[in-house]
Amino acid sequence: MSKSTTHPYEELLAAYSAGSLPLSQALCISAHLEHCEPCAQKLARLNRVGSELMQQLKPSGASVELKNRLLDSLDSLTVDDISEQHQVSTDPSVPRCLHQFIDGGYDDLPWKRVSSDIQSVELCRDNNGAKVELLKIKPGGSATTHTHLGDEYTVILEGSFSDEAGVYREGDFMVRGKDDQHTPVATQDRDCICLAVTEGPVQFTGLFSRMLNPLIRRDYA
Amino acid sequence: MSSMTKRSTPSDKLAALSACMARVAEDRDKSAFAKLFDHYAPQIRSYSLAREPGSDLVADELVQEVMTRVWLKASSYNPSLANLNTWIFTLARNCRIDYLRRNSRYATEIDPTDMFNEMEDEGPDPFQLAQQSRVEESIKEGLKQLPREQSEILTKVYLEGKSHQQASDELKLPLGTVKSRVRLALKKLEVLVVR
Repeated sequence: MSKSTTHPYEELLAAYSAGSLPLSQALCISAHLEHCEPCAQKLARLNRVGSELMQQLKPSGASVELKNRLLDSLDSLTVDDISEQHQVSTDPSVPRCLHQFIDGGYDDLPWKRVSSDIQSVELCRDNNGAKVELLKIKPGGSATTHTHLGDEYTVILEGSFSDEAGVYREGDFMVRGKDDQHTPVATQDRDCICLAVTEGPVQFTGLFSRMLNPLIRRDYA
Repeated sequence: MSSMTKRSTPSDKLAALSACMARVAEDRDKSAFAKLFDHYAPQIRSYSLAREPGSDLVADELVQEVMTRVWLKASSYNPSLANLNTWIFTLARNCRIDYLRRNSRYATEIDPTDMFNEMEDEGPDPFQLAQQSRVEESIKEGLKQLPREQSEILTKVYLEGKSHQQASDELKLPLGTVKSRVRLALKKLEVLVVR
């Protein structure tokens, strides 16, 4: 387990525990939790808060018919009766919450060139329109100065990068608001792979790359 | 029962339910399962109704989904990682997330199955567990003493499943106030202290 230095805010972790967070953001929290024992401990207690609140509700009587039907069906129940499909990636370094999108390792994904330094692969869209993607920044590469139209949630899956605010390592979780301009630069030793969830299109603010903006925005139309 | 019988405390009750859970896991004991149903089904229904008032069908479906998992996943429940009440809460929460996902007007491509799998993780060491259980006891006491404005927010988020933005709209409070009340409440409950 790596030593994450940046963590989700408490109220975000609480919303995750409550199940009231959009699933795209929950993916980032889940990926962070696999790397961060202190946050996993907090989560266990937050779940306990939920459990206590549930017990404080006035119980609302359940139907005898439902109980009997369920009791009668117990012998024939199989895992197919619950809508859970566990998918397993062959690469154990991929966080479990991403196995549903990644069968093998990161190298096998259909990466697309974004700039000379960055490649990306879109994993999915959430129902609020948020885009879930992986970004790969080459060693020493820079992810052009950019802002976003919505919040951007990032978790580092491999490698490390730095920006104006500091250095981030494997497992680190960060949220950048729409007004934060930042220029992440990957460290020299290896590729940096991040999970990134953006609620609105990314805005490039560099002189040349500003020309890319209309193209990118079309993606969200 | 003699009138001298001591009234059962919540922890006696939990111990009895945990014993039922063990019989379900080890012996596939249906009468023990029925006892779990009697206790938890009304709670799960109320949890569902807190989010969707009046939707009895949805509430019954949640009961069925959760209790089916209790039966099928009994052997994966590890009492040293979470107490039974908390395990049931996480199952109910996960089933509710999945129900909403399947019935949402806008489809999401994200499957929550492997995102909320705390139970399957390797647990903390026994020393941490002992501390954890002390902290958990304080959560229960702390909840009773929270100012109303703070417990109201926790109820919105945890039981009604509201986002911070929705809570802010409903309570006509700035978003920042909602977030800081959540934080203050969690601080009082000592949820955030990592030892």
